[in-house]
Amino acid sequence: MTPTHLGILLAITATVIEGFGQVFLKKAALARSGKGSWRGLGLCFFAVEALVYTWSLRYLDVSTAFPLGSLSFVTVTLLSRGLLRESVDRTRWVGVLLILAGSSLVAMHA
Amino acid sequence: MDRTDKGKVTAMTSKAPWKLIFGLALAVVLDTATQITWKSAVSDVPDQLTPTLTAQAMLHQPFFLLVGLLMGGQFLNWMTVLDHADLSYAHAITSLSYVTVATLSVLYLGETLAPLQTLGIVLILTGVWFVGKSGRVGTLVKAGAR
Repeated sequence: MTPTHLGILLAITATVIEGFGQVFLKKAALARSGKGSWRGLGLCFFAVEALVYTWSLRYLDVSTAFPLGSLSFVTVTLLSRGLLRESVDRTRWVGVLLILAGSSLVAMHA
Repeated sequence: MDRTDKGKVTAMTSKAPWKLIFGLALAVVLDTATQITWKSAVSDVPDQLTPTLTAQAMLHQPFFLLVGLLMGGQFLNWMTVLDHADLSYAHAITSLSYVTVATLSVLYLGETLAPLQTLGIVLILTGVWFVGKSGRVGTLVKAGAR
């Protein structure tokens, strides 16, 4: 694995971690009890995300890593659909596909 | 965004347009400054990066402290922005930072951007606009960093 590939993998991992962090914050908002635990878990995930993103910046230009962060829209959409059973309309799926296509172009030419 | 929310944005923006415009512009500036500083900070840490070394560097390097301050400022500003506009509207506007970060990274960090990467960023901006236009945006909470 080349350093660039590792950087891309880390940047994508950061967006997955952020997705889970967002879901946990939403769980905190929805919970009747134990809000603090969900919120704390969410903040922990954001701290780990910052660590992983920092690591990815070691191997990637910021002009590549930052746009890849937009994949968090994709992970949040997928996780909120899968874990929170939220409805996602067609317009959002179009947005998600465009972000996936754009991120792929950015990553392929990194 | 449903009709009610859309009406709320219009009403709120007409009450405090300059405050909102300033807040959105500041959000883009802070986002951009955070990313450029973050990259500069990473360039100063040792080559052999491990999770432990990364965490230690983040706690001790002055540039990383500046990143933390910028993120704190961004969080406070973002809370103010959300007082005046819907999340979907504000998030779509501040995605302009994808353009400013790319531009400044080329100008000040000497990075290069292939034409297809530029096209990729345009597609991402369009995608963010579509996401902002979609019906439910409650779970997309901006966490400060990105």
